[in-house]
Amino acid sequence: MSYYGSTDYSYNSDFNLRIRDIKKGNLDFGWLDNARDTVEIRRRDPRRGLMLEDVEVGDYAVENAPEVVRENRGLAPRGAILAEGSDQPDLGPSLNKKSDVWGYRVQRYWEEAMSRQWNASTDVPWQDMDKYEIPEDLEYAFCQLCTLLSEVEMIATDLPSKWSHHMNSHFQEVKAFIATQCIDEARHAEVFRKRALANGVGLLRASVRGEHALKGILEADSYSEGSVFLHVLGEGFILTLFRSSEFISPTPVEQRMFQLVMQDEARHVSYGLQHLKYLMDNCPEVRPQINGFLDEAERHLTGLFNPDQLESMIVLGGKGTSPKCIKRGVEVVGAFQGKQIQEYFHRAERAGLPERKERSPLLELQERMIAGIQAANAG
Amino acid sequence: MTIKFPSVDFFQELARRMEADAAEFEKLGFCDTTLGIQVNGDAPHLYALTFEVFDCTDVRELSSPDDAELDFTLAAPLSLWREMFESIKKTGHPEPAFTLNSLSHVGDQMAVVYDDPEGHDKFYRFMATIQAFVDQASDLDIEWA
Repeated sequence: MSYYGSTDYSYNSDFNLRIRDIKKGNLDFGWLDNARDTVEIRRRDPRRGLMLEDVEVGDYAVENAPEVVRENRGLAPRGAILAEGSDQPDLGPSLNKKSDVWGYRVQRYWEEAMSRQWNASTDVPWQDMDKYEIPEDLEYAFCQLCTLLSEVEMIATDLPSKWSHHMNSHFQEVKAFIATQCIDEARHAEVFRKRALANGVGLLRASVRGEHALKGILEADSYSEGSVFLHVLGEGFILTLFRSSEFISPTPVEQRMFQLVMQDEARHVSYGLQHLKYLMDNCPEVRPQINGFLDEAERHLTGLFNPDQLESMIVLGGKGTSPKCIKRGVEVVGAFQGKQIQEYFHRAERAGLPERKERSPLLELQERMIAGIQAANAG
Repeated sequence: MTIKFPSVDFFQELARRMEADAAEFEKLGFCDTTLGIQVNGDAPHLYALTFEVFDCTDVRELSSPDDAELDFTLAAPLSLWREMFESIKKTGHPEPAFTLNSLSHVGDQMAVVYDDPEGHDKFYRFMATIQAFVDQASDLDIEWA
């Protein structure tokens, strides 16, 4: 036990006397003191049930809350009546400013996440795997890809977990949304693990470079830095990688798997984009800090283009290991890498960081990498 | 009964089927987007399909992309749309090369036209629903324009 409260309620006589009194039926209804006025709640669209946005009213609405939360440093949800004085415990949240965590439309992303959950055990048609014969080289390449993707999903579970308890409970919607991200990413790690093992090959080589890149996400100094790295840069790239993986999937079973994971990934990217946009709109003074961070983060990210992953994608993209297949695979992978980078620049521009295109090392690094692969391939 | 492609009637029939198969689409979850379907050819057509909650609530033909706020538009020649729907017809689902994602990902067969990256990302956020929506054409008797 590392936390001992200031009061031991099990031996507090006042407290015990009061409990005994209540059990005798002597209620004082003190919890109704200072109760807020009642509110009128309207379900805007009955087909959606009762949405978080429907209960955004009066003192409960985030729009009516201060930009910086000073009073509530415990677990009280926004709108709850706090104890007078300093009785409410301080749980030490370090993210107390709305722009630290908020993203436009975060309530919508939460509802979408809850509505579009799926099950890796039953929503992928595993029973159809026996219908298809996958060439051995493609199966091995696919399992190598699944190994890297499992590593990626681990970090995408850990980053939101790491920051959730640092967020002031005032921002319940963000905490809730990143909790859905944790379950999404845990499910992705599950589905890639299952797929790697399903045909017996199993997981292959873990990525040294890739894990160094992923460590950079986890070690970000602030939530916003971690978010822009994970949600906008990392998951933006992984979303395109999922699209490519669907494109080069050996059978409809894997295609279904990637159709499902890309939905979750795109939702996380959208939240990250809206957080970055909210941050740039409301806290423009952090722009140099975010740009400086991204200068390094973009270098880190190239670790995900590690040789094992590239080769497996090339084999899958070209559908084999003959020179002709590899040539085709190099073309396919080069095309999607270009798309990854362009889409990232477009998102950064829309979020308010158009300068990324000028500052980023990604274009040059990509060109060097592809030239290297092509030279090796020609040799 | 045959139904012409492209036409408002075609997409309205898919919308009607979506409503009739509520359990399937409710399982896939909320889908909120307005997307464009552009059929290129001698007589090009552009349709706006609005999805809300679990349904396709509106189908319109547009004379210009500016006539609706489209999150993204899937644009392809008539011949490619035809190949895609004929592939879906074989088993109820497209062959791997004919999923919406595969057709639009590499090369210029099917373009994904967008302005706002968040609108673009809706294509991927709602991929399973949009794919299931077009897969419903598997047993339609289609008359090609």
